[in-house]
Amino acid sequence: MSGQTAFTLILPIAFGSAAVVYLSGKISAALRNFLAVFFAAVPLVLLTALYGYTGKIVYYDLSFLNQSLILRIDAFAWYFASAVALIDFLAIVFSLRYMEDKKQLDFYYFAMLLVNAGMLGIVLSGDLLSFFMFWEIMSWITYLLISYKGGKAVAAALKYMIMSIMGSCAMLLALGSLYSTCGTFDISGVAEGMSSATPGYRLFILLLMIFSFGIKNAIVPVHVWLPDAHSEAVSPFSAVLSGVLVRMGIYGFLLVMFVLVRWNAVLELRILGLLDFHLVFCWIGAITIVVPTFIALLQDDAKRLLAWHGIGQGGYMVLGIGLGTSMGIAGGVFHTLNHATYIALLFMVVGAVEYRTNGVRDLNELGGLAKKMPITFIGGLTGILGLIGVPLTNGFVSKWLIYKSLVMNERPLLAFAALIGTWGTILSVFKFLHHIFLGQLPQKYNNVKEAPFSMRFSIITLSLVIFLFGIFPGLPLTVISAMLDSFGIIPLNPTLFGVPSTLGELNTITILAAVLAMMVIGYAVFAWARKARRTDQFDSYGAGAYVPVNRYQYSVRFYERAYEVIGPYIRDRIDEFYIWFVEKAEGFFDTARKIYTGNVNSSTAYIVFLLAVLVILKMWGRF
Amino acid sequence: MDRADIAKTLKSPANWGQKYSLWAVYFCTGCGVIEIPPVITSRWDAERFGVLPMATPRQGNLFLITGYVSLKTMGAIIRTYDQMPDPKYVVGFGSCPVNGGMYWDSYNTIKHLDKYLPVDGWIAGCMPRPEAIFVAVVHLWQMIDKGMATGYQKYKENYEYYERNQREILPHLPKFAGEKTEAVGQTL
Amino acid sequence: MVQQVISMIVLPVIALVIAVFFLGLSRKITARIHRRHGPPLYQPLIDVVKLLTQKENISHGTIFDLGIVLSVAGGLATILFIPAGGLHPLSSSGDFLVVLYLMLLSPLGLALAAGASENPNASIGVSRKFILALGYEVPFLLAALAVMVHFRTTSLVEIVSLQRESLLNWSVFTLPLPALATFLVLPAMLSIRPFDFAGAPQEVASGPLVELGGKYLAFAAIQGALHTYIVLAIFVDLYLGGGANILTFFLKMLAVFFIGVCINGVMPRFRVKQALIYLWKWPAIIAFAGLVIVMWTSR
Repeated sequence: MSGQTAFTLILPIAFGSAAVVYLSGKISAALRNFLAVFFAAVPLVLLTALYGYTGKIVYYDLSFLNQSLILRIDAFAWYFASAVALIDFLAIVFSLRYMEDKKQLDFYYFAMLLVNAGMLGIVLSGDLLSFFMFWEIMSWITYLLISYKGGKAVAAALKYMIMSIMGSCAMLLALGSLYSTCGTFDISGVAEGMSSATPGYRLFILLLMIFSFGIKNAIVPVHVWLPDAHSEAVSPFSAVLSGVLVRMGIYGFLLVMFVLVRWNAVLELRILGLLDFHLVFCWIGAITIVVPTFIALLQDDAKRLLAWHGIGQGGYMVLGIGLGTSMGIAGGVFHTLNHATYIALLFMVVGAVEYRTNGVRDLNELGGLAKKMPITFIGGLTGILGLIGVPLTNGFVSKWLIYKSLVMNERPLLAFAALIGTWGTILSVFKFLHHIFLGQLPQKYNNVKEAPFSMRFSIITLSLVIFLFGIFPGLPLTVISAMLDSFGIIPLNPTLFGVPSTLGELNTITILAAVLAMMVIGYAVFAWARKARRTDQFDSYGAGAYVPVNRYQYSVRFYERAYEVIGPYIRDRIDEFYIWFVEKAEGFFDTARKIYTGNVNSSTAYIVFLLAVLVILKMWGRF
Repeated sequence: MDRADIAKTLKSPANWGQKYSLWAVYFCTGCGVIEIPPVITSRWDAERFGVLPMATPRQGNLFLITGYVSLKTMGAIIRTYDQMPDPKYVVGFGSCPVNGGMYWDSYNTIKHLDKYLPVDGWIAGCMPRPEAIFVAVVHLWQMIDKGMATGYQKYKENYEYYERNQREILPHLPKFAGEKTEAVGQTL
Repeated sequence: MVQQVISMIVLPVIALVIAVFFLGLSRKITARIHRRHGPPLYQPLIDVVKLLTQKENISHGTIFDLGIVLSVAGGLATILFIPAGGLHPLSSSGDFLVVLYLMLLSPLGLALAAGASENPNASIGVSRKFILALGYEVPFLLAALAVMVHFRTTSLVEIVSLQRESLLNWSVFTLPLPALATFLVLPAMLSIRPFDFAGAPQEVASGPLVELGGKYLAFAAIQGALHTYIVLAIFVDLYLGGGANILTFFLKMLAVFFIGVCINGVMPRFRVKQALIYLWKWPAIIAFAGLVIVMWTSR
C-alpha cells in the first residue's frame, strides 16, 4: 500500500473504529473484543507502511476563515504516532481479560479506541486548530476513562480535569494570539510568522504553551493530578495514560520549541533579563527528577509508586530537551519512547497481579509471587531494569545520552540531579519488585495462577522491545536523527549499536557480548559444582526455629532508616499548597456568594446603592 | 599441619578444603559456649587454623554442641543440623553431651547426644580449655584424611533410628507434622 | 586486535587473582592489627575450594541460581571496561558512565538471589545495602563529576592519560577536595567497617548471604572480592593516575587497600542512620565544594 493511501486512511479508521466497536458490542462481546484488537492493530500496520514517508493532507476547508485543516506526517510525527499505536494496541490486548468482569465494556473499548484516535490526531495534525481539537477530544475522554471505576476515581478524575482545562485555556489563548499575529493556523505558516516576532512575544507564547503542556506532562509544580489519576484508573488505561498520554506534553514541547519557535531563537530568550530560558527549563526538569523519585520511595501502593516514577522520568525528558544539544535532545526524545515501554509494562504487571489476587495492589500484602507468576516476574524485572537504566536496556541508552551531553556541556549539577534520580529509582523499584515477587508467599495466594495469555502477550512483547532497543539502539535513534534534522539541529548519525566514536564511547553489542560471555563462564563453573537440592520457603533460616508461616516477610517500612532521614523533607508540599489554596478560595467564594441573598429587597438596595455611587462620582467630575 | 603440602592437596582438594576451612555455626547451645569467645579472639586465635564462626547453618560445616542440651534447645539443634549442607561434622563439647555431665539426673536434659544426632568426636571437660578445642580440630583433620568423619552419611543411612529417637523426646516438633517443614526427607 | 583478545582473557584472570589475594591480605592484616597470627594469605583459596567442592548445595529456585551467577558475571564484565594499567580491552565501547551502571549488575544479581532466599534477614540486608549505596553515591557522584568536568571527558582511559605526565598531575593533588571526599566514603563503597552493616553476622545473620551455602557462598565471596577490585580500580584511575603498567597499578591499589584495611581493623560498626547522615554531611559538603571550585575555574 502506498504511503499516501495509508496516510489518508489512518485517522478515519481510528475514529470510525471507535463507533463500530461500540455498536458491535450491542451484538456480542466476543465480536466487540475481536474488532477492538483488530482496529487497534490497524494503525500500527498502517504506520509501518508509512516509515520514511512525509506528506500533507487537507481534510477540511474552513472557508469562512480562509483556513484549511491539515494533517501532516514526517519523522517527528511518525515517531510519536508509532509509540501511541503500539502502547494502545498492547493495552487493549491486555484489557481483554483484565476487564472481563467489569461493567459498561462497550463504552470502555469505545473510549480506549477514541483516546488512541485522539492521540494519533494530535501528533499527525498539521495545523494548530486541529491540534487543539484533538487535544480536547483526548482530554475529555481521559476524564471519562479515569473515572471509570467510580468511587475515589471520580475525585481523581475531577482533579485531572480541572488542571487540564486550565492548560487548555492557556493553549487557546496562545492559539488565538498566534492566529492574530501570524494570520494562519498552519504550523509551517506559524513558524514563518514567529521567525519575525519579538523575543518578548516568543517568550509569552512559550510560557503559555509550556504551562499547558507542562500540566499534561506533569512537571513540577503542576504534577499534582498525576498520582491520584494513575492509581485510580484501571491498569490498562494507566499504562496508556502514563506511557503515551502524558507524553503528548513532550510532543507539545518539541512542537513549540523546535518547530514553531526555532531553537536558535529559544536559546536567545532570557527571563527577566537574567536567566537563560532553556536553563530554567532544564532546572525544572532536574527538580522534577529528584523530588518525585524520592517521594516514590515512600509509597506503599504499587500504582502510586509507579505514578510518581512517571512524573520523575518526565523530568529526564524535559532535561534532555531543554539542553538543546543533539545528544541531549536525542536522549530526551528516546527516553519518551523508552519510558512508554517500561512504565506500560510495569502497570500491566501490576494489573496482572491485581487480576490474579482479586485486586490487591498494596505492596505490604503481597510477596513471593515469582514462584506462581514467573512470566509476570520476568516482565517486572525487565521493566525495572529499563526504568533504572541498566546497560543492555533501552533506558540505559537514553539516559546515557542525557548524562553524556550534560557532562560534556559542563552542567555537572544537572548531571548530578539526573544521576541521583537514578539511585532513587533503583531503591524504589527494587522495593516494588521485592514486595510483589520476592520473599515469602502468603498462603492465601497459594492458588494464584500465571497471568492469562493476552496479558502475557503484552508483557512479553514490551520486554522484548526493551531489550531490542537496548541492544540495537540505532533502530530508533535513526528516526530520532531524522527528527533532529527536521528541527535544524545537527543530526546524531548513530550506528546500529551506539553513537559514533567522535561523540562518545557506547557500543551495546560489545557490552552484550561481555556480559553473555561472563554469564556462560560463570554458569559453567556453577554447573560443574554439585547440583543443588531444591528447598521451599518453609526451610529458611530462622535461628533454629521453624518459619512462622505468613509472618516471615520484611515488607513494611522497607527503607525505614532512609525514611527517618529524608521523610520529614520529602512531602508533596505543592499538592498541600494547592489544597490549602483551594480551601481558602472556597471559603472566600462561600462568603462572596452570600451577596446573593435571593431577596428582592437587598437586590433593590444594591441597585440604588450603585446608582448613588455613580451619581456622586459624576458630580465629582470623575467621568 | 600439611596445609602447604601441594602434592597431597592435589590428590584430594576437597579434603584440603574441608580440613583447613572449618566454619563453625555460631549457635550457643549451652553454657559451654563461654569458652568459644576466647578461642576465636586474639589470644587463642582460631582463625589461623581456618576456623571461623558463621552466623547461619547454611554457611557452616562444623557444629559444636557446647554444654548441656536441654529439650527445648534440642529442637533448635536438630533444625540447625538439618539445615546445614553436607559434609558436616558434629563435635560434642564438654561432658554434658557425652553422658549428661553435671545434669546427669535432670528431667530436662539429653544424656546421650549420640542417640539423636551423629557425633564425630567428643571433647571431655567441664569446661574444656581452648587448647583442648585445638587438639580436637587437629583430630578432626586426621579423621577427615582417613575418611572416618562420616557422621553425616551415618545420619542419612540410619535416618529412621535417629528420627525415632527424636520423635520420642520431641513429638510435637513441626518437622514431624507435615510436608511443609521437612527438608531432610527430600534427600532420602 | 590480537592484543585486545589477549587482554580480554588475561584481565579477568589477573583481576580474580588480585581480588582473592586482597581477601586473604585483609584477613592477615586485620589479624596482625589484633595482635594475633591470622590465617595464611591463601586462606580464601582454601575457603573457595571447600565451598565449591561441597557435597550438597541448597537452592531456593531458578532466580536464586541465576541471580548468584549474574553477580559474578556482572563483576567480571565490568572489569573489562576499567583500565588497569595499560589493559583496557573494551573501554572504547563503554566510558565511565557505562562502568557506573554496569557496576549495578553485580549487586543486583546478589539482591535478586537474596530476595529469592525467602528470608527477611536477606531482605533487611539488601535494604541496608541499598540505603548505604544511596548514601555514598551522593558524595561519590559529586566528586566524580568534578573530575569529569575538570578533564572534559567521560572516558577513564583519557582521565588516566591526562594524569600521566608527572606525579603532581595526579587528581589527588590537582583536585584535592573531590579526592578527599571520595576517600572519606571509600570504606562505605567497599562495605568494610564502619559501614559493613549490610552483611552483619550479628545483627541480620549475614544479610543477603543468610541462605547461601556451598557454591552459592563461593560465588558471593568472589562477587565481594571483585567489587573491591572494581572500586579500588576506579579510585586509582580517577585520583591516582591509573598505572603505567599492571604492576604500578597493583601497587597503588595495594596502598589504598592497606589504608582501608587499617580503618576496618580498628573501627566498630555504624548504625544505618548514623552512616547515612555521615555520608550526606561532610563528604558531600567537601565534594560539592570541590565541584563548585572546578566549575568556577573552568569558566
